[in-house]
Amino acid sequence: MNQASIPSEENLDPTPFDLMQVPVLGPLFRWRYARPFLQAPLLLISVAMILHGLFGPSLAPKNLATTLSWLHFRGILVLVLLCAGNFFCLACPFMLVRQVARRFFRPRFTWPRALRNKWVSVALFVLILFTYELFDLWSSPWWTAWLIIGYFLSVLVVDGLFKHATFCKFVCPIGQFNFVASTLSPFEVKVRDQDVCTRCLTKDCIRGRRDATSDLVVIRGCELALFQPRKVGNMDCTFCLDCIHACPHDNVGILSRLPGTELLGDSLRSGIGYFSRRNDLAALVVVFTFGALLNAFGMVSPVYAVENWLGKVLHVSHEAPVLGLIFAAFLILEPVLLLGSAGLLTQAWGGVQRAFLPLVVRYSYGLVPIGFGMWLAHYGFHFLTGLYTIIPVTQNFLASLGFPFLGEPRWTLTGLPANAVQVIEIGFLVLGFVGSLAVTHGLADEDFPANALRAFIPWAVVCAVLFGASLWLIFQPMEMRATLMSG
Amino acid sequence: MGISCVKGCRLVWVIVAIGVGVCCHRPPNTSRNVTIEFEIKPKPVRVGPVVICFTLTDAVNHPVTGAQIEVEGDMSHAGMSPVFAQANEVQAGHYESQLSLAMAGDWVILLHGALRDGEKLERQFDVRDVRPN
Repeated sequence: MNQASIPSEENLDPTPFDLMQVPVLGPLFRWRYARPFLQAPLLLISVAMILHGLFGPSLAPKNLATTLSWLHFRGILVLVLLCAGNFFCLACPFMLVRQVARRFFRPRFTWPRALRNKWVSVALFVLILFTYELFDLWSSPWWTAWLIIGYFLSVLVVDGLFKHATFCKFVCPIGQFNFVASTLSPFEVKVRDQDVCTRCLTKDCIRGRRDATSDLVVIRGCELALFQPRKVGNMDCTFCLDCIHACPHDNVGILSRLPGTELLGDSLRSGIGYFSRRNDLAALVVVFTFGALLNAFGMVSPVYAVENWLGKVLHVSHEAPVLGLIFAAFLILEPVLLLGSAGLLTQAWGGVQRAFLPLVVRYSYGLVPIGFGMWLAHYGFHFLTGLYTIIPVTQNFLASLGFPFLGEPRWTLTGLPANAVQVIEIGFLVLGFVGSLAVTHGLADEDFPANALRAFIPWAVVCAVLFGASLWLIFQPMEMRATLMSG
Repeated sequence: MGISCVKGCRLVWVIVAIGVGVCCHRPPNTSRNVTIEFEIKPKPVRVGPVVICFTLTDAVNHPVTGAQIEVEGDMSHAGMSPVFAQANEVQAGHYESQLSLAMAGDWVILLHGALRDGEKLERQFDVRDVRPN
């Protein structure tokens, strides 16, 4: 499929809205130190979270580390991804530390070719989901603090040894989550006028801008190997602003677009390749989608019944193997059955000649909206129902430092009522379901215009199954245990 | 890597110092002369109203009377509504209060208040595996 077959955003939206034209925001993003300016507050908050996590109250609802990590950060992250774009990566505090460290450590090595894919980050994504459940990170300020410290150390080690943005592109599980979710964001970093790029001789957006006399790079080009004129969508884009700063023609903006359009089409994407040939990227999408259900399943009552039953059947009393089986069921068995069946039906019923694996890989991207809908519902629920808890926790934190100027902690402050938030959750799920139907239908229509409906129906059924499972999950009674298997 | 020996040593020292400081940290000892015998009813604990009973005794096992204790119930996950109640002294040194646990899972019951002589009292008890109704 060539570039022309991608639904052109220019056709859909001839005059995209450019965030760079917005007063205050535009000048801020153009400012060379915009990124550290946005990163510094998050770094300070991270330090406060680490200190409070290690030395503060051991009870999760009273600690900054757990409250900010598992309620506010996650909730704000998914809402910003939904409403704007990958702005968390822009303000990532880990990268600020990396930048400072690179004044001392100059990386020498290049990331091994065999690892230049998403497999490592997929494994780490699964590992984080697994440790979250196994060690009940949500209930432990201590372990949450160590997770943050571990993250900082990992960034320093990886990007201390390896050149470019190795950690962001190939390792960071949060980054991969953001990359996948930001395919549905309404803004992307994009060139304003392709003709300007065609005439451009220096290609500073990828090479970096060099000093005329010393020939040293003074403004970095894209460290994630995304060449702006051939970049498609938000995948792998950290919104770091490097290309915007480097472009000598001021031809890169943060433009509006129809969310999800980048999931259609199968053109060659700069720094990515072809979506349909990226099994690793499809695996990331599968973990993103089915992991959303798994992560929510870990917080409702039926999970404990399943775990106890599994424990008895297998004569196992230890948590890890039982949890491992549940993870295997959600992240391997379920996707293989659902996607495999849909792929076979599409081939048989739709008379499709495309090979089985590339077909499944291509259509798996259609599941991103429903997966994101579930993450939004889950994280949005915790964020909104615990919205105000940050107030007493901050009051308590400042009082413990000897600055009680915010008064006595008001522990009764929580958030929006759960029944009101449930309506919002349903809205997110419906949005995700409709989005997935639209994307999978768009893929079927592109690939098999004569048999689009037949090719679409198996994938619509998969979306419906996932939607039904998500709805069932949010109506289950919540149960938050730090002990997985009861006595 | 372009790092001088001195800078590298300094960096290692800072990391080691932080690590030692962090690893040697222990929560402050909150034990006092007051012993608390804690009980929650009914058992097994289910979502809904529960009775928190506790007995305060001093170092020579005499009941501690006249304490003003507030009982707070928190989930182990951040963001959930805590529940509060004032404890009543039903017998000498024996206190009771009612809480309504809104969700299944693990709860933490905090007792905080003051003894008759003004000394502060803070204790925490885990109530694990509250069952759904």
